[in-house]
Amino acid sequence: MILLLSLTVAVMFGAGAYLLLKYDLLRMVIGMVLISNAANLFIMAAGLQRGDAPIYPLTDDTVSDPLVQAMTLTAIVISFSITALVLSMAYRVYTSHASVDIREISQAEEVQAETDDQVGLPDPHALGKISREEEDVPDDQDMIVEGERREVRR
Amino acid sequence: MIALPLGILWFGAVLLGVLDGTRRKNAMLSITILLLAFGATIALGFDIRQHGPREFVLGGWEQGVGIALRVDTLGIIFAVLSQAVLLAALIFETARGISARVFPAMVLFMGVGLTGVFFTGDAFNFYVFFEIAMIAAYVLSSYGETPRQLRSAFIFTVVNLLGSVLFLISIAALYHTTGRLDMVGIKAQVPLVDENPLILIATLMFVAFGVKLGLFPFHFWLPAVYTGIRASVAAIFSGALTNIGTYGLLRFGGDLLPRELEQGGAVLIVLGSISIVYGGVQSISRRTPNEVLAYSSIGQVGYIMIALAIGGELGITAAIIYAVINSLNKTLLFLSVSMQGWLVGAAFAVGAFSVAGVPPFAGFLGKLVMFQAGMAADRPWAVILLVFLGGALSFLYMFQLYRRRFWIPEEQREASAMLPQAVVVVMGLGLLLVGVYPQPLIDLAGEASHTITRQAAP
Repeated sequence: MILLLSLTVAVMFGAGAYLLLKYDLLRMVIGMVLISNAANLFIMAAGLQRGDAPIYPLTDDTVSDPLVQAMTLTAIVISFSITALVLSMAYRVYTSHASVDIREISQAEEVQAETDDQVGLPDPHALGKISREEEDVPDDQDMIVEGERREVRR
Repeated sequence: MIALPLGILWFGAVLLGVLDGTRRKNAMLSITILLLAFGATIALGFDIRQHGPREFVLGGWEQGVGIALRVDTLGIIFAVLSQAVLLAALIFETARGISARVFPAMVLFMGVGLTGVFFTGDAFNFYVFFEIAMIAAYVLSSYGETPRQLRSAFIFTVVNLLGSVLFLISIAALYHTTGRLDMVGIKAQVPLVDENPLILIATLMFVAFGVKLGLFPFHFWLPAVYTGIRASVAAIFSGALTNIGTYGLLRFGGDLLPRELEQGGAVLIVLGSISIVYGGVQSISRRTPNEVLAYSSIGQVGYIMIALAIGGELGITAAIIYAVINSLNKTLLFLSVSMQGWLVGAAFAVGAFSVAGVPPFAGFLGKLVMFQAGMAADRPWAVILLVFLGGALSFLYMFQLYRRRFWIPEEQREASAMLPQAVVVVMGLGLLLVGVYPQPLIDLAGEASHTITRQAAP
């Protein structure tokens, strides 16, 4: 039984890790779901004893460990809510980049890094630019990327 | 008494969850709540200094059956520190104008999670509070909602989720090996059970907390995230959230699994050294302020690792003091680097001197305790050399950054609003105060470390 459980946990974790390395945001989210469920199974497998359901009135036989079940339940609730959060985040990334492909998204990051470096150069023009648009420099540059993205969409 | 700070924060967080945080009135309310909880935590701290660690079992269960809250000096130090950082960031952001309605509520939820993590006496409850803090952090990381912040938020969430899952697995494994979930019970059982599974569990925990801290091989997410997020959120992450990693390593490594910490000492020293050098060199080569500070964080974590690896009462005291000072430094720097004006420049300089470890600023104390702990290590010259090298590197990158950000011709300078500046200046004065009068911090850290190590002895 333990062998079967550990094999299942291993396969689930492996599949989740594989999906996490994909280029697609949704696949990454599904990979996360698989990994956190592998962890839930692992907690169940960590129970100290097996037996009847631990419901009152108890029988004379040994009961299964109720603590791991309570822990798994808590972990399921947490992983469920986090999945919802990550899904909504993936959706927000999609609406602002018009893509769920990590490669395209990291391209936007590179464009960003280049503009950052230009702003960071210590020549007087750039410095003037910094002090004028100082308050939230990253946001201004995001507007540039945002503009490019809109053009792509059109 | 123990539950009071937690209760205030939790109630306040839920209340603010339904209110619109962009309104000034509600933001002021959240500051008041955080102040109340801060006061209650400090009162609890005084109580514990007089009467020793306190325990409180939830739900009226017997001791040993119910889930316990347990507070000792170590927990109080980190709770006060994190709440102070949250308070500074919240006041700062309120003064600048909050742009998302959930911001104050999320800061309070983060406060609930962090305070809970530091106050709990139960390993699984540690995970639950840890997740509360992390979920608040996931939401905060997208604060601002520009494409760049969304990208940062996604990276941050995925990487840290993986870390949390590893931690959950290690908790389950710890339960299976020791048969206990309460920390006191685990500690009593650990010397009696087989060593091999414990080494595996300790490794998993180390990886999980290493991911949170951004220690060298697990640091890849950190610069990408810190460059994108807003100043106040960066301050919260580096000042408050990383405390989970430090506290977790101190609690699970120093307190519950001291034997495993000792066995892993060599690994910690190697990774810590690489972190210091790598973080320092990368910081020098970076241009954007947040990136410099992010790599600097990676470097500073290295010192904490080395202090932990040296271990013993001296090493753990050094780790605590260094973690506290590093949190304050980073909060001050992240907040001040986003503004302009000579006052902010002065505050930044205080933070920069402090990171470099120049007296009379607080950072000097951090370096000093590192030297002290280093003298107790096997190869004192190596540790001392490393601390010197790291200090020199940090001096270089901090003042490179200072020159780029604050040495700007007079006419191109526009000072930021007064109130956010005031927050930063108060923090700078605080760092100076800790540096000039460090005795309370040294006493507290010594006591916390004494409690941990004394219990560890059979």
